[in-house]
Amino acid sequence: MEKFDKTFPSKSFSWPPDKEWAIAGVVGSGNLEVLFERNTESPNTMECHVESSIPGYEDSWLAALEDFAANYPAGGTKVTIHDQGAAPIVVTFRLRQAYDHLLQKIS
Amino acid sequence: MKRASLYHEQTARKRIASLVDPGSFTELLPPPERVMSPYLPLLDIPVSFDDGLVIGRATLGGKPVYLAAQVGQFVGGSVGEVHSAKLTGILKAAARDAIPCLLLVESGGVRLHEGSSGEIGISEAMRAVFECRAKGVPTIAVIGADIGAYGGMGILVTCCDFRIMTEHGRLGISGPIVIEKWMGKQAYDSSNRALVWKTSGGKTKYLLNDADVLTHDDSASVGAAIGELLSKSQPITLGGLKTRQQELEKRLGDFGKTSDPEEIWKAFGIADIGEASLASGPEFVALAKRKTP
Amino acid sequence: MNTSNPNDLLARFFGESGKTLLVKDSLITGYAQVLTQNVAVIGTCDGTYIDNAAALRLASLVIDCIENHPQMPIVMLVDSAGQEPSRTCEMLGLASFFGHLLSCLQLARQNGHKLITIATGKAIGGAFICYGMFGDRIEALDSASVGLMPIEAMSAVTKIPAATLTALSKTMPALEFGAEPFALLGGVDEVWSADVNVPEKLAAVISSSTQEDHRAELGKKRGGRKWAFDVQNRVLAESAK
Repeated sequence: MEKFDKTFPSKSFSWPPDKEWAIAGVVGSGNLEVLFERNTESPNTMECHVESSIPGYEDSWLAALEDFAANYPAGGTKVTIHDQGAAPIVVTFRLRQAYDHLLQKIS
Repeated sequence: MKRASLYHEQTARKRIASLVDPGSFTELLPPPERVMSPYLPLLDIPVSFDDGLVIGRATLGGKPVYLAAQVGQFVGGSVGEVHSAKLTGILKAAARDAIPCLLLVESGGVRLHEGSSGEIGISEAMRAVFECRAKGVPTIAVIGADIGAYGGMGILVTCCDFRIMTEHGRLGISGPIVIEKWMGKQAYDSSNRALVWKTSGGKTKYLLNDADVLTHDDSASVGAAIGELLSKSQPITLGGLKTRQQELEKRLGDFGKTSDPEEIWKAFGIADIGEASLASGPEFVALAKRKTP
Repeated sequence: MNTSNPNDLLARFFGESGKTLLVKDSLITGYAQVLTQNVAVIGTCDGTYIDNAAALRLASLVIDCIENHPQMPIVMLVDSAGQEPSRTCEMLGLASFFGHLLSCLQLARQNGHKLITIATGKAIGGAFICYGMFGDRIEALDSASVGLMPIEAMSAVTKIPAATLTALSKTMPALEFGAEPFALLGGVDEVWSADVNVPEKLAAVISSSTQEDHRAELGKKRGGRKWAFDVQNRVLAESAK
């Protein structure tokens, strides 16, 4: 298992009052789960913790997360990922999916 | 246009969202609480926030229910210590509160990586199912995913009041791959999907009265079937057990010498095997003449 | 005393009354006495595999006991290697036959019959869970092979090297195969040593047993299953809010 943490600057996310967290994805082969949690202490950063069963892709992870933090207001969130070998495109998709749950766009 | 997702394709969380009244689901021990497997990290296997079982409370058609939905993709939906403790806990809550418990099952059984702890855990969950039954609190299992309900989970669902299956679901103890490995391809060709499903799938289980209902592979149909059963329970009575004993003895008498599931289908009035094989759940029900005692 | 010989085993448990029990096709059914107390007996021997017909025979005795012998304790002996691994058994609904046996035992419990299990030989997987693990109290002879499956089999299915699992089993009794580790997990109440006076021990267990499932609490107390009890209770507490 490879584990790493990285914090990215990001525009502040406006948390819906009734939401504390949102999750997307499942831990399975080629898949991952992403949990977004409220982080009141740091409204301008997206704090990430990644655990992946496939080592050696840290650069790829950091790029995907940095991209997300730059393109979406995700400041004030803590993002935790349990990964079992998802491709970068799946990573980005799951981040967006969890984010959509936060915005209550999908159930 | 977005195709309505089929029950067997949905994730556990999606199944719950599709079945319950909108916005009514409250998850218990949700992901932020990180109640996870203490064992998988020792084997360098990824953990999941819910340990593969989503539990909570909701309403279905306005009626309160407890539910537990297994995440089949996570270590095959298998049951470890934490997973089984969540399952036992929610069943005990159902018994305590006299609120029906719904199990959305998708599991190969005990999680081998956690050894005996999952085995004992499933046994505890069985005791909790019977706690509900002793109090007349309905326990309803839905078996509609391809990996089905196997091993200890296969036995557990047969302890519930009711089983709702779709043509995708399978119900058994030993899976085809295990039997083939042990007894040879002659005994069970696990690559023969048609044979696997005719052996353990919803259609055959429905004919044999091991599944109470056979529905369409979509949440609306599953939800409707659940709704019908929420106010019912099957108390365990001496008369009921004797009837079931006779039914099972007759089953062995009628079919004990056959190894071909198609013989069972024919015995229940299925004239055209090909047509019945392609039929949806409700179409199959219409084609068959099932007699229940 | 060779406890792998069913007749010797039954003599050890039930004395002369053991001779009235039917031992047929590796199944034990009937009525006997523990010291002076009448009990019903269902069981397996010879490390047999339990199939559909076997489950029905055991269920039949339980039904007979419920109907004709109110509140008589039911002693469950276990020496079975597992469920019958057969496609036709699966086709005929083995899972449901096991559910029926469990339902019969449940009615017995509801009607005040005590259910006492002793693992005497193999007590493995589905064969154990379909009756023996349903006991109010679950005991094991120290020679019993109790568990889910041996490490070699676990390794074959999970593809995790046997050496890894064996090493881990030193600190993780859940992976260890045997009566003692199963007891550490709370799955067995007590392991009986070879010199134990079986009828006296069994009579004492029958007398003192209660119906609540205390295995999770035991597992926590003994350290073999540290989390189950707390997680169950946490669910109960959270759901009560």
